[in-house]
This record gives sequence, structure tokens and C-alpha cells, in this order.
Amino acid sequence: MTISDEPRITGRGIRQSMSDLHTWAGLLLGWVLYAMFLTGTVSYFKDELSQWMRPELPYQAQLPDQAVVAQRVADAFSKDMPGSPQWSIKLPDARNNSVYAFWRTGPRSADSRGFGEGYFDPATGQKVAARDTLGGDFFYRFHFQFHYIPVLWGRLLAGAAAMFMLVAIVSGVITHKKIFTDFFTFRWGKGQRSWLDAHNALSVFGLPFHFMITYTGLVTLMAMLMPWGERVAFQTPVERQQYASELSAFTQPGKPSEQAVPLASVESMVRQAQDRWGRDNVGRVTASLAGDAAARVVVTRSEAGRVSMSPQSMEFEGATGKLLSIRESVGAAAETRGVLYGLHLGRFSDTVMRWLYFLVSLTGTAMVGTGLVMWTVKRRHKLPDPARPHIGFRIVERLNVSTIAGLSIAMTAFLWANRLLPLSLAARADVEIQVFFMVWALTLAHAMIRRPKAAWVEQLWIASAMLALLPFLNAATTSRTLWHSLTDGDWVFVSVDLMCWALAALHAVLALRTARHQPTARAARKRHPNPGAGPLLRGEGA
Amino acid sequence: MRHLLPFVLCLAGFAGLALATERQQRTCFGGPLRAVTTYVLRAAGVSVLLFALGILITWQSAGLGLVTFSGLTSLTAGIVYCALLGVARTRAP
Repeated sequence: MTISDEPRITGRGIRQSMSDLHTWAGLLLGWVLYAMFLTGTVSYFKDELSQWMRPELPYQAQLPDQAVVAQRVADAFSKDMPGSPQWSIKLPDARNNSVYAFWRTGPRSADSRGFGEGYFDPATGQKVAARDTLGGDFFYRFHFQFHYIPVLWGRLLAGAAAMFMLVAIVSGVITHKKIFTDFFTFRWGKGQRSWLDAHNALSVFGLPFHFMITYTGLVTLMAMLMPWGERVAFQTPVERQQYASELSAFTQPGKPSEQAVPLASVESMVRQAQDRWGRDNVGRVTASLAGDAAARVVVTRSEAGRVSMSPQSMEFEGATGKLLSIRESVGAAAETRGVLYGLHLGRFSDTVMRWLYFLVSLTGTAMVGTGLVMWTVKRRHKLPDPARPHIGFRIVERLNVSTIAGLSIAMTAFLWANRLLPLSLAARADVEIQVFFMVWALTLAHAMIRRPKAAWVEQLWIASAMLALLPFLNAATTSRTLWHSLTDGDWVFVSVDLMCWALAALHAVLALRTARHQPTARAARKRHPNPGAGPLLRGEGA
Repeated sequence: MRHLLPFVLCLAGFAGLALATERQQRTCFGGPLRAVTTYVLRAAGVSVLLFALGILITWQSAGLGLVTFSGLTSLTAGIVYCALLGVARTRAP
């Protein structure tokens, strides 16, 4: 055996290397990941949250016939916007009590976005005067593209964070050597060991979900993160159109014939779709060149009950109502993408499944949060002087407070702003978002000027109080009080109120435990061999 | 019923698996159980979980069944974990 054949003796094993990778991959974008996880978790109920944030829209006791609703709104469009080259309506379903509509107004210019959007009452087909808000869509969009930065940059950041997360998950699994033996282990009151056990439990119980959600999150951004294959494979406009049709049922309007012909019965078209997919399973109706002889209507199937986002649609000739084509399958690659996309969004879920998504995603949020806190817990006793940590440690500590406790405050402030801002306020939806960011910035400022432990406790109490009072604010500012909602059977409003109290209790427990936390004698001895250094502990974080 | 039976089965499965670990046997029974009992608990836990998966796939389709199973296992493992935590806290000296 030559020297080169001998096994190389290295000082660090694979687990130690992976542990370092796990630590730093988790920390560097950990705050971004925490915000993505929490807003993503809330987004599983974005439609319900949007309902709560538009209390003017009446409670929908019974799901209306989608075919009738589609005809009502189509009539409103024919009357009010006859020249629109294209309109598209999302029909009400079990989670939406209004019709969301999007319509083109003409070419895009410096003065015009080129489209309009609004909400319509399913009962009348008329536009409803709901307060101006992005609703739950704000959290949904923030989750993958953030705000105040260009959409492309936001999505690139989200993609980079997701890649870091994937690395952290894989390296975490390799690092965790007793994944099965310690599956149910929690050692109470052991400081760093307890944090590690909690982090492991939160990670391992939801591991399939955490891996799936991170990987599929990357799939949703894959065309942006790796556009080269697509550019090579689809070069001509026809190829690109074919490619687009595999991913979405949405098509660009064609050329008008300039021959006016009224749109045939939309109700009849939706009725055919209902016969095929079920009464409440129609998602969207899109009409191009309505009122022209060349009009086309595409009725799209909803995502409910099928684990795929691949488009399924029926195309009709607008002038006659004749069925032109049915599309219910796409190619294998597009279907793979559709399934992965569908798994991420979870729109196929019934109520129970949606709650499972929410709860397991919440454990993912807690996994990232405990990981961030553990970074400081693990390093604190190694500091030469814990009372005066180095700048990097201080930054991490402060960012942890404002990201974990501060984000709860900011998100709740967003809901408070929804109830408190005047309805006539110009650009009201934007102001709600500004409130969110201003409050979040204030929590960072607070964390900077207060000692870490005090900042944790105070911010957790503020979050708890704001959450606990939100149902009362709702009762004071709207007619949708808890008792009315209970009487009406309006479970969306009931659930939001109860969830606020549950989360308030959670934050209160965390605040109490943080306030009562005293470092163990062993940890204190490690940090302060000199007994006179005891009072310095008061300044330590949780 | 559509979700309740798989939920109960997953809960039972994880309870069996948890009680098949030595650390939890010490917590719950004061010491390790016989090897045979441990094997039976482990086999029963895995079998019940697989049975729950089979039911979900049969009732809901492969795709939906797998997703539901993943969610239910996370939830029930968390419940068993919290229950064990409670037992450990009440029996702590």
C-alpha cells in the first residue's frame, strides 16, 4: 500500500461538517425563512382571511349555483364594459363568498395599467363596495416575493432562501444521528439540550412536509431560477404558446372579427362543465372578445379535490355556445410540475386537510424559530463575557426578537389597521401594508434599545394583547361580532376570533416562560465563575 | 369518520412506537419492558400505521391519501409527544 492509498485521517467527521453547514445555512437566511414560513402558513387560510378583512361582503350561508352566478356577472360585463377585450371571473366556492373579476381595459400605457379588477356580489352580479384591502393575499404575495422590492428580486431572494432551507434540511437529517432512537425525546429544563430536543421534534415530526414544501417551493420558481432549458426548448411563438397552454388555461385574446354578435348563454356553458366536473367544481370563466363573432369562452375546473394545478378546461365558441374542445390532461413533465405545484399550494384540500397543512406548516415555522434561538443559546456560554457579547451575537439576538415576536405584532397590526383605517382613505390597501412595515420596523428599534430578555418579554406580551383584543375590535367596528357569527353559523369569522385568542394564549405562555426563565446553576457557573458577576444575568436573553 | 378512523389508527400506531423505545418505557413503566413486548409494540405500531395508509389510499385515492397520511402522522406524532411530555412531568420527582 502506498502512502496515497492509505485512508486520510481528518479531524472532522461528516456529521460535524454537516452540523456546521446546517447551522450556517439555517442562520444566514433564517430570518427571511421565518417570515416566509409564517406568512406562508397563514396563506393556507388566505381566502378566509380575505373574507374577514372584507366584512361588507355578506356571509354566504349556502353556496349559490355557479352557472347562475356566472351569467349574472357576464350580463353585468356586457352592460358596463362592453368593449373589454377579455374578462375573467373566479366563481364563488365554499371558501369565497364573492366573485373576483379581472378585465382588460385596453393597451397598457404610462397612465393605465391596462386592466381592472373588483369583487362582485354573487346574488346580484353587481360590484360590491368592500373596503380597499389586499386581504390575505398580502401575506400570500409577501411569502414568495416580499414587498418594496422588484418582484423579480423578491422571488430570487425567496428562491435563494428556499435553497438554503433545502440544504439545512438535508444536512440536519445527516447531523441528527439518533433520528429514530430520540424520536419522542424531550429533556425538560436542560437549557441548550431542551432547545435541541424541541428543534428536533418540530423538524422530525413534520419532516416529509418540510422537505416537500421546500422542494415544491423551488419548483414553483423553477422557470425563473433556471430559465435556460425553457429558452432552448421553446423558441418560436407557437412553441411558447404550446408550452404556456400546458401550464395554464389562461390565453391571450385573439383578433376581433369586427362583427358584433352577442355572447351566447354563459350559464349553459358552465352547466355543461358542472355536468362533467360536479356542481361546485367550476373555478373560473374567461371570455375573450365578448360581443364579437370571434368570441371564445373558457370554463376552467377548480383545483378542489385533485392534487394537481395542471389546467383542465372546456372551450366554447362565444357567439353560439358550441363546445369546441375539452382539455383534461397535459404532458408528463407538465403534470409532474402540476402535482408538485398543487402539493405546495394545497388548494385541493378540504377543511381538515387545510388545518393539517396549517398546523404542520406552523411546526415548520417553529422549527426555524427554535433554530434561530438555539444559535444564541448554544453560543452564549462560550462567550468570554456574556454581558458584553460581540457585535455579531448582538445582531443575531436583536434580529431574532424582531423577526419572531416582532412579526407576530406586525401581522396583527395589519389586521388592526384593516379595522381602524377610515374606509374613505385614499390608497387604503397600501396604507394597511405601510402600517405592517412601520410596526415591524418599530419592533426592531425596540429590540435594539432594550435588553434582549426584556425585549422578548415585552414584544411577546404586546403580540398577545393585540391578538386577544382583536375580536373585540372586530365587534366594535363591524356588525360581524362573535355571537352573531355563532348564531349565523359563519365559521370563518368564528374561527378567526377563536384563533386570535388561541394565538394570544400561546404568546402569553411564551412571554411568561421567558420572563420566569433563569439560567441553570451549571450554565450560570460556566458563564460567571466569579460569584459577583451574578446580576449581569439579568441582561441575558431567553 | 372519513378522517377520524385514520386519525385514531395513526395515534395508536405512534403510541405503540413510542412505548417501544427504552427511554419512554423508563418514563412510563419505570424500566425497560421485555424484548418480546418491545418487538410486539414496534410491529403493531408499524402495522397500524400501514393499515391507516391503506385505508386512506382506498378511500381518497393514492395522491390525496398519501398527503392526508403525511399530515395525520405529523399531527399524531406531535400529540403522542406532548402526552409523553405530560407523563414525564407528572412523574418527575
